[in-house]
Amino acid sequence: MGRSMKKGPYVDQRLEAKVAKNGNKEAIKTWARDCTCIPDFIGMTFLVHNGRSFIKVYVTEDMIGHKLGEFSLTRTFKGHSGGKAKAPAGK
Amino acid sequence: MPRIQGVDIPPNKPTHISLRYLKGIGPTTSLELCEKVGLDPQRRASELTDDDVAKLAVVIDRDYLVEGALRRFDGANIARLKEIKSYRGDRHRKNLPVRGQRSKTNARTRKGPRKTVAGKKGVKDK
Repeated sequence: MGRSMKKGPYVDQRLEAKVAKNGNKEAIKTWARDCTCIPDFIGMTFLVHNGRSFIKVYVTEDMIGHKLGEFSLTRTFKGHSGGKAKAPAGK
Repeated sequence: MPRIQGVDIPPNKPTHISLRYLKGIGPTTSLELCEKVGLDPQRRASELTDDDVAKLAVVIDRDYLVEGALRRFDGANIARLKEIKSYRGDRHRKNLPVRGQRSKTNARTRKGPRKTVAGKKGVKDK
C-alpha cells in the first residue's frame, strides 16, 4: 500500500543534505535503500549498499519515485544445480 | 449487435454487463458510464440505439483508457521498469511474481505449467 500523500515521499535527510552539498560527479556511498529518488537526484551516482557491497546506481529521470534499494539487488542467484546454467540476465 | 471501440461485440446481456467485455471497463466504470450517457444499465445491449452506441463511444474515448491504448500503457510501464534495471523489472523479465510473493512453491500463474526436473526429490532433499 502506498504512503500517505500528506507526508510526501520519504527522503533520507542526511542523504538529501549530502546531495545538496555534493557539486555533482562524486558517487555518494549510502545505506539508505529506503530513500525515494527525487528530481534533485537526477544525474547523481550513488553507491547503494546491498548488505554485502555497494552497487553503483546512476539515477535517471525514469527512476523518480522509486527507492534506491530497488536498483541494488540483495540476492545472488547462481542458477539451479544440474541443468545448463542459464546466465542470469543483468545484475 | 452493438460494436464499441472497434471489435468488441457485447451480446444479449444487460448493458452494464456487456460493457465489461471491453478491456479496461469493470463493474464500477461500467455503471459510471451508463450514468454519464444516461442509459438504463439493466436494458439489454441489443436494445441500444445507434445513437446510444455513438454516445458511449464518445465518452469512452474522452474519459477512459481501454483496449489497445490500455495495453500499450501497461506495456510501456513494464518496459520502463525493465529499462531502469529495477527489481520489479527484473522479476518481469524472469516471469516470476513481481510483488514479493513466494516462489519456492506456487507462483504457477507466472511460472506456467510445472517443469519436472530429473533427479530432484521430495521436499526432504531441499
